[in-house]
Amino acid sequence: MLAFDILIISIVFGIATFFTGRYAKEVASILSGVLLILIAAFSILRFSTYTGGFVSSYSITISSSIGLYFSVGVSGLTDALLILTGIVMLVSILITGRDYGSAFFGLEMLVEVGLIGLLISRDFLFFYIFWELVLVPVYFMIGRYGRDNKDSISLKFFVYTHIGSVFILLSIFTLYSYSFTYLGGYTFEIGPLMSIVHLLPPFELGFVLFGFLFGFLVKMPSFPIHSWLPDSYYSAPYPATVILAGAISMMGGYGLFGILMEAYKAIPLWVLYFLMVLGIISIIYFALTAMFQRNIKKMMAFASASAMGFVTLSFAASIIESTGSEYSVKLIEASGGMFQIVAHGLIMALVFSALYYISRNAKTDSVYGLGGIYREAPMLASFSLIGFLASLGLPGFAGFIGEFSIVVGVFQAISWYIFFVIFGMIITASYHIWTAQRSLYGPYNENLGFIRDVKAGEFLILIFLVLVIFLLGIYPNLIFHNLVNYTSNVFKVVS
Amino acid sequence: MNAIDLFYPEIFLAIMGFVVLAVGIPIRKSSVNAGITFATLVVAIIIILFTPYSSAYGITMNKFSEYFAIVLMISALFISLPVAKYLGKRSEIFYSALIFSSLGMILVAATWNLIIAFVAFESVSIMTYVMSAYGGKQRNLEATVKYFFTGTIATTFIILGVAFYFFSVHTFVLSTNNIISAATKSSMLLALLFLLIGFGFKLAIFPMHQWAIDAYDGTENDVSAFLSTGTKIMAFVIVLKIFLVGFSSYTAPVYYFFVVLSVLTMTYANVAALSQNNVKRLLAYSSVAQAGYLILVLAVVSYVGIGSGSKAVDLAIASGMFYSLVYIFMKGGSFLAMNMVKQDNVTFDAIAGLGKKSPYVAASFSILLLSLAGIPLTGGFLAKYFLFLSVIDGGLWWLAVIAILNSAISVFYYMKVMRYLFWEDPKGEFSTDIGNKAMVIISAALVVLLGLLYVIFPMLVNISSQIVG
Repeated sequence: MLAFDILIISIVFGIATFFTGRYAKEVASILSGVLLILIAAFSILRFSTYTGGFVSSYSITISSSIGLYFSVGVSGLTDALLILTGIVMLVSILITGRDYGSAFFGLEMLVEVGLIGLLISRDFLFFYIFWELVLVPVYFMIGRYGRDNKDSISLKFFVYTHIGSVFILLSIFTLYSYSFTYLGGYTFEIGPLMSIVHLLPPFELGFVLFGFLFGFLVKMPSFPIHSWLPDSYYSAPYPATVILAGAISMMGGYGLFGILMEAYKAIPLWVLYFLMVLGIISIIYFALTAMFQRNIKKMMAFASASAMGFVTLSFAASIIESTGSEYSVKLIEASGGMFQIVAHGLIMALVFSALYYISRNAKTDSVYGLGGIYREAPMLASFSLIGFLASLGLPGFAGFIGEFSIVVGVFQAISWYIFFVIFGMIITASYHIWTAQRSLYGPYNENLGFIRDVKAGEFLILIFLVLVIFLLGIYPNLIFHNLVNYTSNVFKVVS
Repeated sequence: MNAIDLFYPEIFLAIMGFVVLAVGIPIRKSSVNAGITFATLVVAIIIILFTPYSSAYGITMNKFSEYFAIVLMISALFISLPVAKYLGKRSEIFYSALIFSSLGMILVAATWNLIIAFVAFESVSIMTYVMSAYGGKQRNLEATVKYFFTGTIATTFIILGVAFYFFSVHTFVLSTNNIISAATKSSMLLALLFLLIGFGFKLAIFPMHQWAIDAYDGTENDVSAFLSTGTKIMAFVIVLKIFLVGFSSYTAPVYYFFVVLSVLTMTYANVAALSQNNVKRLLAYSSVAQAGYLILVLAVVSYVGIGSGSKAVDLAIASGMFYSLVYIFMKGGSFLAMNMVKQDNVTFDAIAGLGKKSPYVAASFSILLLSLAGIPLTGGFLAKYFLFLSVIDGGLWWLAVIAILNSAISVFYYMKVMRYLFWEDPKGEFSTDIGNKAMVIISAALVVLLGLLYVIFPMLVNISSQIVG
């Protein structure tokens, strides 16, 4: 019930923000702060003694004859993602300049509504509604406030991800049409529907898996359906980029681990290997592409996609042994992959927030246009460096925990092919370091003139993110514990 | 039983039609006529609600016909007020034509007799020919002439189809008991073909849609709102009854015809709409595409079989019913939004910057467009959602894939309109009439409301089996 209340409150807040005029920033900051506090309180109340499964379940019957319910529930995974959403959205709103106007803050709150809704929905109708609802405000954010070809890029973003979503929709419909045969009644609820996937006839099974995978991989994004990503990240205003990298890419990961994982028995071995290959290609290809970018924002866009490759990889690897007679999910990769989603979101929020201040103060975000800004703005340079280091997966930061557990787990599944993953990680490290050296340190680029360092408020935002990332890096059990409990409880697990 | 009870709405409307005609001559003020007409239609809806469920003289009132009668009345109600501003002299003729056409609409909704349906349908058509000529400009007249000629051709086809139908089953009554003997099957096929062509014109489905683009573009915005909602939904009702009930023992050709037509209609209209520079023509093409989605209902139901007891049939018919209701607001509202532009030729440049001039109207218009595209939290989404659901539930995966990809294509051109609304600078003049604005905002609000009222749909599922009369 508590989770449902949070959703209702977020909807009311979201609508209210549109009408607050010039106080929009204050109102949106306070409201999203309240939401984060509510989520945190909820997590402490319900998840400090979490042992797996779904808590705070609640269901409203709309019509039982056609299986319409509005049911909500929160698991260890969704709780972690809710916290991530709360933090990313709060940061995104806090770094938004006042000059964007109340509509922008309203759109941001609307994204938060959509994200919270899709995370806590336990039935497909409302899951899909919120899933699609996220797209509309982001479309307006890019199209209205973006830069360079914003109209065609925003349209590309919308249509690309919308086509991904409609394939999810088709899969949902197929499952629904079989619900009567296998469950004895029509329903849209996620749990029961996903539990019958492995019973479907071969063609329908393929259809359902393709629909879900396509929809989720577009959002992730995975090679080769990623071409909306660099454009959208680049063109979007920085607050929207924070949302895109921190929260929107989380949707794809949640789709894989939160939705599709429940049907792990149904996924054929060759699909898993295919996904694994896609994941590895994503890691290496995006890392190589990022290396050749001359714009830091574009570079980090590809870095983000590369980091999400680990999620695909861990998803496939964690169930790769399950297709024998023993159905099971391997604990360490699965939890590691889930952790990676959270860590990636937080790190990207830090990186893009720091880059936002750099590009605003230095009026450029090209690698060659910057140079040695440590001399003028030491704080800013340090925060960016922390972001870069966290992004490349340095031990001590949250990103390391996810990547480490994935690599350890995957090694058992693919033995020495892990070399490719390591190769990708090396490239990732090298271009991060290279970029940091080129743009943040070294000789000062005198053309830039004076660069203002962060103000106190901005410092607080950045240090908050750094502390969260650092905390999760040294004490991952804060959420890792819940992820493990969730995984080991829902799936038959081999450790 | 006193059968006259059934006809109170029709009698009331007929009397009021003449009253408006008579009262309008001395008054000569369109707003008064509009007020009377509005009140008449509201009262008629109330009378329909209190009409007993029974059957006499070929008219059957049940929940199904009551629902569609009210939906069709709403489509008339929808334009009765905003159009008043553009009528000028002799508005009483327009308004009595509107009342008489709504009379015909109720009959169409309530009858399961082919001849009564045909006559009622024609009475509506003739009234709409009169209405579409209003405006008096050259382009209005051109559009009307086009509409009129295709309309009469359609009539010819329909009457031929009716004749062949009678020849095949020896009755005009549409019922699931009509048995076709093997000897008359070819005549039944001819009946199907002729009726399909005739009503295809009215529904504006490919390839019988060409008139619609010019007619919707050429007539006054309010009249095109009525043409593309009222008469189209009416044609949809009658097509549902004829092809699902009347042809229920002869479903295979119905399925093949409608599956091919719906795919062609959706695809052609969506692709053609992509390249439009005129917003009104774009809306006209989108209206053709929506008809393509609507007739998916016929494809699914005839594929599954109306008496099969499958959930897909109930879902499909109910989603058709729900679609009709939402469609009136989203399509009618978008055509009314065109009134904001003070030009006959509504190009993209003409609507550019509406978001800066009147943000609430632009926001409402974009809600209507999002609803047409099928984005969540709008009625259009819910209607499409259940329609596609029933298509898959009926076992037609490939058809659902085509439909849903089409729906994704359509996003391109709806978004293009929204782009011009919000992030281009104003170039033309916009109307500041509060009535226009109010209608657009109200229809957007209703569309959102329908998207949130999930309870309506299960109710319709329960009603939908009454389509058999």
